Amino acid sequence: MVARIDSTSDRVPVLRRTWVQISIYGAVCLAIFLVPVVLDNDFLLNKYARYLVLGILAMALSLSWGYCGILNLGQALSFGLGSYCMAMALKLRTVPVHTGEGGLPDFMVWNNVQELPWFWAPFYSMPFALFAGIAVPVLLAVLLGWFVFRARITGVYVAIISLAALVVVNLLIIDQQRYTGGFNGITDLAQLEILGMEFDAYSSASYYLVATVLTVCLFAALAITKSKTGLIMQAIRDHEDRVRYFGYDVAHFKIFAFAASAAIAGIAGMLYTIVMEFASPTFLGVPLSLSVVIWCAVGGRQSLLGAMLGAILVTGMQGALSESETFLDTWMLVMGGVFVAVVLFLPKGLAGLVETIVEHLFGQGRAARAATGKPAAGKDVSGTGKKAEEAA
Amino acid sequence: MTGYLELRDVAVSFNGFRAVDGLSLTVEKGELRCLIGPNGAGKTTALDLICGKVKPTHGSILLNGRPLDRLEEHEIARAGIGRKFQIPSVFKELTVPQNLEVAYCRKTGVFANLLRFARSVESDGLEKLAEMVGLEDCLDAPAGILSHGQTQWLEIALLLAQDPQVILMDEPTAGMTAHETRKTAELFKRLKGRHTLIVVEHDMSFIKEISDIISVMHQGRLLAEGTVQDIERNPEVREAYLGSGGITGA
Repeated sequence: MVARIDSTSDRVPVLRRTWVQISIYGAVCLAIFLVPVVLDNDFLLNKYARYLVLGILAMALSLSWGYCGILNLGQALSFGLGSYCMAMALKLRTVPVHTGEGGLPDFMVWNNVQELPWFWAPFYSMPFALFAGIAVPVLLAVLLGWFVFRARITGVYVAIISLAALVVVNLLIIDQQRYTGGFNGITDLAQLEILGMEFDAYSSASYYLVATVLTVCLFAALAITKSKTGLIMQAIRDHEDRVRYFGYDVAHFKIFAFAASAAIAGIAGMLYTIVMEFASPTFLGVPLSLSVVIWCAVGGRQSLLGAMLGAILVTGMQGALSESETFLDTWMLVMGGVFVAVVLFLPKGLAGLVETIVEHLFGQGRAARAATGKPAAGKDVSGTGKKAEEAA
Repeated sequence: MTGYLELRDVAVSFNGFRAVDGLSLTVEKGELRCLIGPNGAGKTTALDLICGKVKPTHGSILLNGRPLDRLEEHEIARAGIGRKFQIPSVFKELTVPQNLEVAYCRKTGVFANLLRFARSVESDGLEKLAEMVGLEDCLDAPAGILSHGQTQWLEIALLLAQDPQVILMDEPTAGMTAHETRKTAELFKRLKGRHTLIVVEHDMSFIKEISDIISVMHQGRLLAEGTVQDIERNPEVREAYLGSGGITGA
């Protein structure tokens, strides 16, 4: 009897914490959706949509790095592949100037390609392109993960291998100019059209598309972390060997985390093409890939929302600083200072800071919590929501 | 005669050093077997061999007639072997209930667990388990802040949540107070019969209290086997421990 009372009194805060977390996530997503209501500027909306896409990318890394301890320095590989899948589909929907309707894409004509390569043909179908934008990165992640994690390669070696894989694919795309557009990437794309809706990059439609996908991805990733598989992923991050002796095949869980992260990154890549209106080898570039790690670290890699807001905050700050006259020459220095400060003083990133503050509030309201429970939660939601608006 | 858990002439060498050298051990189902021996006798390595952490270079290990030595660690765990490590190994960033939930491993697949909440319906039972080992006040805390003794208890609780047929315990009472050691002894006596236990220990009073049969290892081999009295009278064992006081003084 005593045990039952104890266990129920323990369960309440745990469930409550989950609900508080869900409401914070929901509030941030709502704030993101409200931006076009108060902001009627297509140019700015496009810029913010771009930040949001990078936020999704950072969130994907948080899932594998923050929750499963896999430091993937090649996160941009999945991102870039998704981006190229979408670009190929949109390119085939552009009517080429030289060859007319149904003709070869312009860059292939310039490269003396006679007919459409076999792997381009299926991209006439938009559903196939959407599928490929997720499936190609996932398949590559499973393949890479199969070799790496079954061989029990861990830590910095995984980081190096993932970075090397990124460089290989990047070079391959640049080298195969005839089929990929090489350095120039794939440009002059048609607009995405789904179910009669057109997604102009400079419109609130595209912004809402990005915001919707972001919300879905964020909550899907949150569901993974709240499942038992998510718990086992965290256990693997803590003490991989111990997990094995409970009968779990660690490699399977790591491959899953790696692939789930790749799927989300692939989706982000597709959105990036829509927002940027081109695909380029820089989307699979080492600088972008390493930036994702920094965004995650700043926002807090052990928080999906933290990593996402970290990316939005850092890219937003980068944009603002590099455009302002005062910091025209020194903005890189300022950003560097911010990173150093975060790494030194906030090992768990901004999310860790928020968590500490929340726990402080909770700690004070512990006595009153059982009775009302609402005030503390209300405070966090508005606090984080405000932060999101500032970031966006 | 074949036992439940059987090591047949098992050997392993690390860079030429034969840590376990022709060890044969037979444990019956439901038995509590103590494994003792001086430092470097190969006790921990013997447990490592059973749970698959180390692969034998020679010989075979059988559980209920099924060979274990070619299986991977997680397959051996699924076959029914649980292990407590000498250095307590828990998930430091997870809370006590989360630790127990991971250890509660009825299903081990990725997708089977994807559709399950991290807090299962069995949580009540798992919390009773936390209570049983005296961790009911630390349910919200990450395991990293627990004391050494509490961490020991948590790992024992993890094994109870895992509920394996065979439990391998490597120095479970290290760092425990006299009171806690007594509590551990009581727990082990309760587990005996339903589970098969192999306990590596140095604390002789603890061993005397819990054991039926003691196996003594020396230089990677089985030196002697028998009841506490047999072992204490055995001149070879006294020799191995180098003490005139016998194993009680070790």
